Amino acid sequence: MDTVIVTGASRGLGRFCADQLLAQGYRVVGLGRTPDPKAGFEIREADVADSESVASALKDLRRDPTVYALINAAGIASMNLVVTTPAETVRRIVETNLLGTIFCCQQIAPALIKRGSGRIINFSTLGVPLAIKGEAIYVASKAGVEGFTRVFARELAAHGVTVNAIAPGPIETALIAKVPKDKVDAVVAQQIIPRQGTPLDVWNIVSMLLSPESSMISGAVLNVGGA
Amino acid sequence: MSDYAKAEEFIRNEVAAITGQPFEQISSSTVLVGTGRVVDSADLVMLLIAAEDFAKETLGATFDWTSDSAMSEARSVLRNVGSLSKHLSELPRD
Repeated sequence: MDTVIVTGASRGLGRFCADQLLAQGYRVVGLGRTPDPKAGFEIREADVADSESVASALKDLRRDPTVYALINAAGIASMNLVVTTPAETVRRIVETNLLGTIFCCQQIAPALIKRGSGRIINFSTLGVPLAIKGEAIYVASKAGVEGFTRVFARELAAHGVTVNAIAPGPIETALIAKVPKDKVDAVVAQQIIPRQGTPLDVWNIVSMLLSPESSMISGAVLNVGGA
Repeated sequence: MSDYAKAEEFIRNEVAAITGQPFEQISSSTVLVGTGRVVDSADLVMLLIAAEDFAKETLGATFDWTSDSAMSEARSVLRNVGSLSKHLSELPRD
């Protein structure tokens, strides 16, 4: 049974993907800062922004040949103008979204390389191509994820491992729960497909990237809804 | 056999297998990183994975490639077969 590791698996898109993976017969290992005891899959407490926490939580999986994929869905956001965003918030967003993605990749890549095949799926945001006002720090962290994804894809290509990023617009999850509806609608209106995406839309792309038929897709950023 | 000797023999065998060169041609001074290196970056990753397994299974130690002390450029343990073997043999046991 193939193992898929999902960060941010306590809620939101990470949780949705973890539940879908479980239903498809994968062994799912989730990471979360506040693990949900009701989750139907194994979930380990970890803060992805802390490299030692990640290393400790994933220690046994680093050498596990059943590991097939890593889905880096952990992320935080804070809408604010750059000039009014506290330094600690800036640091926390970059550490969780960008460094967290890198730390998890560092831990799990050896297992995928050893296996000679695998998938890494990172999460960016439609905010990168749309340059949404008030999301500069979040967008900066995710633009970093996109750059990292493209380069890491090259580093792992020789080992049969693909690395891609999915960039959703405003999906109905806890991440945007506090964003006013008119702001969400304004972003959706800028998408090529002007419909608010659902977790299922995102999962459909995850599922496609996980499939063996996607072995020639790497270093790509897939904008959900288009931009 | 000392831990260093075990580590060096292991690394030489791995490098020989990766590069296709005879074991006898791989020595402690065989370069792994930088000018004159015998392995490319993809091969180096495979070597590190094998070294991590060797450290765990044979020495009972953890080889963390990303630790600052192990990978600082000034004294990178990856310079050559000898430096990597020395690092592995001196790792604290788990």
